Amino acid sequence: MKPATPQEGGSLRCLLVRAGDYLCAVPVASVRRVVRALTVHALPGASPELSGLAEFSGEPLPVLDLARLVGAPPGATPSYPVTVVVWAGPPDSHEAVGLAADAALEIAEVSPSSVVGGGGGVVRGEAAVGGRPVRVLDLELLGAAR
Amino acid sequence: MTEADLLLLRRGGGLWGVATAEVRRLVDHGDGVRVELGDGALLADEVLGVAPRLAVRPPGAVLRRFWPEPCDGIAVHRGSPVVVVDGRRPPNGLAAAEGEASHGKQHR
Repeated sequence: MKPATPQEGGSLRCLLVRAGDYLCAVPVASVRRVVRALTVHALPGASPELSGLAEFSGEPLPVLDLARLVGAPPGATPSYPVTVVVWAGPPDSHEAVGLAADAALEIAEVSPSSVVGGGGGVVRGEAAVGGRPVRVLDLELLGAAR
Repeated sequence: MTEADLLLLRRGGGLWGVATAEVRRLVDHGDGVRVELGDGALLADEVLGVAPRLAVRPPGAVLRRFWPEPCDGIAVHRGSPVVVVDGRRPPNGLAAAEGEASHGKQHR
């Protein structure tokens, strides 16, 4: 499991978002913007994780369903869903991607040493934040072949 | 990033673009339009017109991973995303069936 990049004081600053019944931690360094849920146009034949394409700042943006991406059970119907626009892929070739989430909650510090489990796929592992289990994401892996 | 003159089509709720240089004629086809190309044909629910010099960027790794259909690129036209296709290798749902004849009125 690749170690998290430490921020100040050795912790990883993350944006906590709700996706279905899960809390996910998105490294703040990867977050470009959080916006009200974008209008998405589905692509026929797309994997279930891909909600479709949207327009963001004049550019086409693939939008992924974060709950499906992390395998979250469905949660309550969100009141104010959001799209978290992030940089995905390796740093030398990253691209903008939207993550459709139920809500953006707060900024939290995650200690890399507390991340365990290696959830697989885009989930680096799980950590406890404020007593709650949180899936910590690794967006560098998002463009990698399955 | 490249620029392209694209014929814009609506199909299945999405916007699609094909290079105008590939288009030979448009023919009414049932409730939609058959777009006949130099090599092959596409089916559209509606033809919206030509978008000149649209900025087209190649599909990124994330899009290719979750949507492995053939695609020349993606663009935005008047606030809506457009998928740019190669008429010779269109994605499923856009290609006209081989051998399907066009009998409708031709557009001029």
